[in-house]
Amino acid sequence: MEPEALQGINSEVRALGAQIVVLTPKLERYTRALHKKLNLTFDMLTDLHLKTAEQFRLVFTLPDYLRDLYKSFGNALDRLHDEPEYRLPIPARYVVDKQGIIRAADVNADYTIRLKPSETLRQLRMLTGSLAALNLRA
Amino acid sequence: MASLQSRLEEFKRAFESGAPPYNAEHEAIKKMHRATPELKSSGIEQQALKIGDCAPRFTLFNQDHVQVSSSDLLRQGPLAISFFRGHW
Repeated sequence: MEPEALQGINSEVRALGAQIVVLTPKLERYTRALHKKLNLTFDMLTDLHLKTAEQFRLVFTLPDYLRDLYKSFGNALDRLHDEPEYRLPIPARYVVDKQGIIRAADVNADYTIRLKPSETLRQLRMLTGSLAALNLRA
Repeated sequence: MASLQSRLEEFKRAFESGAPPYNAEHEAIKKMHRATPELKSSGIEQQALKIGDCAPRFTLFNQDHVQVSSSDLLRQGPLAISFFRGHW
C-alpha cells in the first residue's frame, strides 16, 4: 500500500526536482510484475539479501513462530526474497538531501502505521526551497 | 483514494475479522499481535539510522534490470527512500 500511496505524490515530487525510490527485498522476477501492476512511475529496486537495509540498520529476523505462519499465507521469504533466514526490514521512509544527509526519518516497527505521503512531500519541499517560496507568495 | 493510513487500518480490520477472503485464524492473529511489541522492545527503531546521519550509498537493480545508483539520483535533487517488504 505504501508504493501506491507514494505514487499519488510522485508528479509533485518530480516537479520539485526530487525523486522517490522504493527498496524491497523482493527478487527482480517479482518486482517487474508488481511495478507494472501498481502503475508506478518511480523505480522499485531489489535490495538483494537486504544489503542496503542492513546499512540503514533496519533488519530483523522473523521469530520462529511467525515463519510457518508466513509460509501458510503463501509468503515464503526463502523463495520470494532468497531469504532462508527469514530476515526482513522494518518499514522506514527516509528523506535524503543532495549532500547525502538524512533530513527526515520515519521508522516504525509496527508495519500497520505509516507517515502520510503528504508529509514526505512537505519535507522534500523544505529541502528544495519550494516551501519558502510558497510561504512568500501566501 | 482513501489515505494510506485509513487503507492500512481497513486491511488490518478485514484481516483480523477472520472472515473471508483472508480467513485468518485466531491463533495466527494472536501470533502477529505478539510479534510487533516484541520487535518494538528489541530497540530496533532506536538503532536505525536517524536525521543527521549520512545515508549509505547503494547501487541496485530496478524492475527492468537497470542498475540505479543513489549517487546518480542525488545529483539531481533530494531523494525519498522507502523500505517496502510487501503489501503493507
